[in-house]
Amino acid sequence: MKITKVNKTFGNHQVLKNISLDFPAGKTTVLVGPSGSGKSTILRSLDLLERPESGNFDLDELHIDFSQKIKDADILTVRKKTGMVFQSYNLFPHFTVLQNVTEGPVQVLGKKKADAEAEAKQLLAKVGLADKADFYPETLSGGQAQRVAIARSLAMHPEYILLDEPTSALDPELEMEVLKVLLELAKEKQSLVIVTHNLAFARRVADKIVFVENGEILYDGDAGKFFAQDNDNQRIQDFLNSMSLASLD
Amino acid sequence: MSCFARKELSKILHSIFTDYLPQIFAAGFKYTITLAIISFILGLIIALVTALVRISDKGGGFLIIKAIFRFYVWLFRSTPLLVQLFIVYFGLPYLKIPGLLPNGIKLAPFTAGIITFSLNTGAYASETIRAAIQSVPREQWEAAASIGMNRGKTLRRIILPQALKVSIPPLSNSFIGLVKDTSLAASITIVEMFEVSQQIAAENYQPLIMYSLVALVYALFCSVLSWLQGWLEKASSRHSKESEAEA
Ligand SMILES: Nc1ncnc2c1ncn2[C@@H]1O[C@H](COP(=O)(O)OP(=O)(O)OP(=O)(O)O)[C@@H](O)[C@H]1O
Ligand SMILES: [Mg+2]
Repeated sequence: MKITKVNKTFGNHQVLKNISLDFPAGKTTVLVGPSGSGKSTILRSLDLLERPESGNFDLDELHIDFSQKIKDADILTVRKKTGMVFQSYNLFPHFTVLQNVTEGPVQVLGKKKADAEAEAKQLLAKVGLADKADFYPETLSGGQAQRVAIARSLAMHPEYILLDEPTSALDPELEMEVLKVLLELAKEKQSLVIVTHNLAFARRVADKIVFVENGEILYDGDAGKFFAQDNDNQRIQDFLNSMSLASLD
Repeated sequence: MSCFARKELSKILHSIFTDYLPQIFAAGFKYTITLAIISFILGLIIALVTALVRISDKGGGFLIIKAIFRFYVWLFRSTPLLVQLFIVYFGLPYLKIPGLLPNGIKLAPFTAGIITFSLNTGAYASETIRAAIQSVPREQWEAAASIGMNRGKTLRRIILPQALKVSIPPLSNSFIGLVKDTSLAASITIVEMFEVSQQIAAENYQPLIMYSLVALVYALFCSVLSWLQGWLEKASSRHSKESEAEA
């Protein structure tokens, strides 16, 4: 999956400035950068929740030119191949945990209900929530809700899972539950694109780091190099210092 | 003298239970309840369609349809229900269009009542439903979009169930209001229960008793509805309670 020369403006504020990025399959790409730099906008563009004014999007054989009207069929293809996990979980409150997970497979993929439920139960077990299948979302903790959201996304078998600050709403303890699940997915070579402010986690999980600032890409490459203390980019060094990475070592 | 008064009282009481109340209830079930239920169901359908048209983001020729629905809601919310009833029942017969409608539109009283009450309820309820749909967080649309659901399916499966739950109290209010408003149907010659009490009062010269009786029956009907509303609200928020019980 890749985007090329993407521009996005809100009002007269240019949020993405001609950015190009690729997201290698089977790898974990982590987007970091200061608040308001455009990370969420990039991520949401990958799921077409945001429509840039210009630029291109490529995913397998599918090609989308953002300056043209996007065909419904192409939107559906993208939405099937990518799944979004939101900071605020956004589970469907009127459905049980199990129904949250089976809704997409049954309604969108046309799976049989029994098959979808059997798989949903496996996925819930995988995220450690086998016993919560019949609960309603409002009875879950944040960490549990986010793991259900991940299971809901996994049930669609997306090529890429996009996660926008999946743990920023969580206490450190609950955060760990979710991060463990993500590390597990990364190990299974599930393609992930993660926006996070948790640099310790980024360092641990990322194959590739993208540093975004002010709508531009200041770093795009190997994770190891990014965190190397002798990074010669002063802006990145300042950012890393501001996030007090030192205290994590 | 006091013996005479007591006889008079027992005679009235006897008439209340064997004559007046049975007549009022009969009219209540035949007209008040049927008018209210049929109009409310039709009104809800009209309201849902209207709300969906008005929140639609379609452009082009659809804008004209949106304008028509907006006009309809404005019209019925800005004019008195009694006047609407008069226009539909007494006025439409004079809507003569040569060639197309040479004889105007003559409606049976009950039909005119149903049409007016449905349209009136639809206009108000459409605003309730529209507000309820818009009260569902935008993120619910995005979560559904992200698993590939289209707009129609998202509305049907994700948004409307949440919106309708929010709408239960205001819609119940509309229904209770409608039950009482059906008394206006008396003015277009429908013999619903208020008209019946008027007719009896004209014969027995007991307006206080007759109008109090009919008020009591309205109150009874509306109390049953309030109770139903409470039950519906509980049933629709059942999920929290159930899973708490399990936990
Ligand atoms: N719907 C919108 N309307 C107007 N401006 C927006 C909208 N969404 C985002 N922006 C602006 O675009 C810029 C980039 O926002 P974005 O959410 O992509 O940043 P971010 O890097 O994800 O920030 P954070 O780390 O705080 O989540 C910000 O200045 C934001 O105010
Ligand atoms: Mg963000």
